[in-house]
Amino acid sequence: MSVTIEGERIDQLLRIIVAAATGDYELRVPLVEEDDDEFLEVELGVNYLLEELTLGKARSDGQRQQLEARAEELAHQQSELVQALSTPVIAVWPGVLALPLVGRVDDERAATITAVLLERVTAERATHVILDLTGVGTIAGNTMPALLRMVRAIGLLGASCLLTGISPPVAQQIVALGATAGGASVRALAQLSDALAFVLAQKGALQR
Amino acid sequence: MPFLFEEATTPQGKPLLRILARGEVTLADAEALGARIEPGARNHRWRILSVVEKGTEYSSAARKYFPNLQPMYGAIAVFVTSPIVRAAINMMMRLTGQAPNLRLFSTEEEGLAWLDALEI
Repeated sequence: MSVTIEGERIDQLLRIIVAAATGDYELRVPLVEEDDDEFLEVELGVNYLLEELTLGKARSDGQRQQLEARAEELAHQQSELVQALSTPVIAVWPGVLALPLVGRVDDERAATITAVLLERVTAERATHVILDLTGVGTIAGNTMPALLRMVRAIGLLGASCLLTGISPPVAQQIVALGATAGGASVRALAQLSDALAFVLAQKGALQR
Repeated sequence: MPFLFEEATTPQGKPLLRILARGEVTLADAEALGARIEPGARNHRWRILSVVEKGTEYSSAARKYFPNLQPMYGAIAVFVTSPIVRAAINMMMRLTGQAPNLRLFSTEEEGLAWLDALEI
């Protein structure tokens, strides 16, 4: 088969293929009824190919947007879950709140804990707050003062704060800051159960 | 509607489905044809004469659907005068693979004579 094609048609086709190769699928080969030859089918085939690429790109873009929206939604849900899990304030007795902390405490988390805890102290008119640090490995450098400020704020609301489960590194941090850093009187006990027994004894709920 | 259907007969009196195609043929149009010629439907395995007007275009989804129709018709004679439309149908035939029961004609008479000569 031998077909003579005008150079202009080939140039035009090549320009459109080059554009497509750079990601521009919007151009189409202009088809002319008078070009009644086998090359017309090639030109039409390129247009069909470009059409498929356009459709594929639109599908891909749509799926990417859906994935991005889903990822954003999951990140939001995860953030909410992490926040809820990071401040599990438990009312262990009327007027007694316990907050077992697990993992690393940084400034942001300390701020969240403080906000949630103070709100609960007020809402439940708590007299005692037990802050259990058994699961806390390390506390970020500037965070210990923030936690001690929280202890002081709890005191200002009329509640007493007890620390339990203090690890040796955390104990050293507290000592370095002074046991009454910022005026916060820190009462420490070995375990959460010790603190609970202490509080209940104070309240006269336990026979001694 | 890009497809206009008409039941007729060939010059030798055989049942014929005549289709006039024009404009943009969509998947819905292609499926409407499929519904007429699917197994159990009235025009199943009939001879078809498709008259395709200049300027007729086929959507991507329609192009992909047409190969499914191959076992459902007896034969299709396509009367087409536009080189661009002819090129489009040729491309769809390439998608279909071998389509011995589909042929293009430049006059209706030739198409009808071919349909009449076929044993279906």
